[in-house]
Amino acid sequence: MNAIPLAVYVVSGAAYAVHFSARKPMSGRIATVSLVFGVLVHTFVIGMQTMQVGHIPLVGTTGAISAFVWLLALAYLYTEMTTDERAMGIFIVPLMVILQLIPAITNEVSARPPVLESRWFELHVSSLLVAYASFALACVISITYVLLFKELKGKHLGVFYARLPSLQVLDVMNSRAVTFGWIFLTVGLGVGAVWLLEVSPTAADPRVQAMSILDPKIFIVVLCWLVYTFSVYARRTTGWSGRQAAWLSAIGFGLLLLNFVPIGYFVTRSHNFY
Amino acid sequence: MHLLLLGASHHNAPVDLRERVDFSRRGIPEALRELERIPNIYECVVLSTCNRSEIYTVCAEPDAAQEALAVFMSSFHDVPEPELAPYLYKRTNQDAARHLFRVVSGLDSLVVGEPQIAGQVKEAFQIASEQGFTSSSLNRLFHCSFRVGKRVRTETGLGEGAVSVSYAAISLARKIFGDLSQLKALVLGAGEMAELTTTHLNAQPVGAICLANRTPSRAAALAAKVNGTAVPWETVTEELASTDIVVTATGSSKRLLTHEHVANAMKSRRNRPLFIIDIGVPRDVEPTAGEVEQVFLYNIDDLQTIVRDNLSKRQSQIDRAELLVHEEVDGFMAWLGSRGAIPTVIALRRRFEQTRQSELKRLAPKLVGLSPEAKSRVEEITRLLVEKLLSTPTEQLKSASDEQEIAADTDTLARLFKLTNQTPQEARDKSNQKSSKTTNSTLPSSTVKQR
Repeated sequence: MNAIPLAVYVVSGAAYAVHFSARKPMSGRIATVSLVFGVLVHTFVIGMQTMQVGHIPLVGTTGAISAFVWLLALAYLYTEMTTDERAMGIFIVPLMVILQLIPAITNEVSARPPVLESRWFELHVSSLLVAYASFALACVISITYVLLFKELKGKHLGVFYARLPSLQVLDVMNSRAVTFGWIFLTVGLGVGAVWLLEVSPTAADPRVQAMSILDPKIFIVVLCWLVYTFSVYARRTTGWSGRQAAWLSAIGFGLLLLNFVPIGYFVTRSHNFY
Repeated sequence: MHLLLLGASHHNAPVDLRERVDFSRRGIPEALRELERIPNIYECVVLSTCNRSEIYTVCAEPDAAQEALAVFMSSFHDVPEPELAPYLYKRTNQDAARHLFRVVSGLDSLVVGEPQIAGQVKEAFQIASEQGFTSSSLNRLFHCSFRVGKRVRTETGLGEGAVSVSYAAISLARKIFGDLSQLKALVLGAGEMAELTTTHLNAQPVGAICLANRTPSRAAALAAKVNGTAVPWETVTEELASTDIVVTATGSSKRLLTHEHVANAMKSRRNRPLFIIDIGVPRDVEPTAGEVEQVFLYNIDDLQTIVRDNLSKRQSQIDRAELLVHEEVDGFMAWLGSRGAIPTVIALRRRFEQTRQSELKRLAPKLVGLSPEAKSRVEEITRLLVEKLLSTPTEQLKSASDEQEIAADTDTLARLFKLTNQTPQEARDKSNQKSSKTTNSTLPSSTVKQR
């Protein structure tokens, strides 16, 4: 079922690419409308899967990626509609397409082990997914910032100069997305820790026993939290903004992406619920 | 009816002549009122900018109207006819429409693609239409032209990129800072270039403008002119810390701002960007200052390169824009052609209505016994019958765009229904009020001015 929203996202991505190169208003409208349609279809798919298994399909990397893509699409649409800027669609939608390939290919919803049947767990995962979507958006904004910065600094005004909003606007958008994501990341990690304290004395599940700072997934996410905390702190105290903030944002999301797919699938011993 | 344009522009008329034929000197409304007195001109719009003075009209006889307009321009502006005539150009019908579409799109401008002209044409049309000097033909023509202008701007890159050094600098500032209203600009120097740049900056919503010059009185004089603040020359390096845009145009032989000055200023700026525009020759700012993080340094050559690149990009978009204009001219001319059948349609409907009324009158004695409801039903049925019978011929006549086809249809209908003899003056007046033009010679059209 996840292949259907994937197909719509592909169409939307193609329309964003056409809009970016040709800048025809019609292609931009088609891109936005198809993305909205994709989100609606995706919502329907997640709803169907929820009805099928009796809970929101957040267990396992596959379900989490699908929910992440859905949240990212929503976050991007919100940004597009509030700023009237479509130029970043060409960066966001392909990322969504690549990630959505995973749930589209595996196309199965993991059953929820008894240990995860907790409100804490749902809050933990959903907070982190909102944070990841926010960081993904911040990363893309940062990349566009760096590209525009390079054009302006190098005095070679090209495609990004003509298509992107000002550096200042991109910097503010990056700051907001990082701060928003950092709040949810902090909440998600805190809730995860509380939930772990609650279940670890009684749970015999080896994955619960493996949950410690030394587990690669937990280690990387804590590292990400430190990176983003530094980013938020440095911006407020020492004025770390612009290119440095953009690089931090890109590094932070690079780590998260690493955690999300290869580590989440192959390395972690504590979070392998797929 | 024909579209006719007469004008003078930067293409052929020298600037002193363009100044003399500028309608805004005496006022466009006055020009329109005088144009109204010229016979056989039914609609008119006067466009007057620093680069062109043009009169768009709908008239009966283009040659006669052209002569009358030339005399009008000469007398209105008090320029002898022989002096003015060589610089006037005339365009009719399709060429007039094409000309206007090209003007609005910026294709006919001195700087190709400049956007101001669209607003100026809108203003000219608004003045004429508000005072009732336009009707269906010019209304349609100008609205089409605005659509063409919009399409050219959105579907081609003709209007993109700054094509003057000062505008390039402002565009760069906008791309770095976005909103300029909270920013502070510092201008170093008080010469001609500094004054020009300050005037441009002042036209933008920049938060504050400070000026500094080695001779404080000159800085103060310029500051008073542009509503800025003069600051002492000695404090310039300290001012950098709180400034966002710096313009240097001093002509000094020594570098005024070094890498060190700028780097020191950036430390206290907490990474806020600093945009330095160095238009002095020799340069006032050490080139390596541009390497400092968050400092964007552009000199006069950089800005001129941007302008040249943008101009060449615009040139490459001309063919696409011309194609759009061509499409829209065809569309407009098809509509204009179809309007030629309107008087015939009106005459035909009137003829049918007369027949219906006379038959109802003739049958009135036989309908005496009917109730008022039944009588009104008879009235309605006969009216609907006439409507139905005329529906298809009306559509066919309106859809014809070829002049010869319209003329043939008109002749046939006029002969079959005796429209020529029976069309009342009222019908002609009505048709003219609606259309103000036709290519039909059998059914003469309006001479009524749309006031």
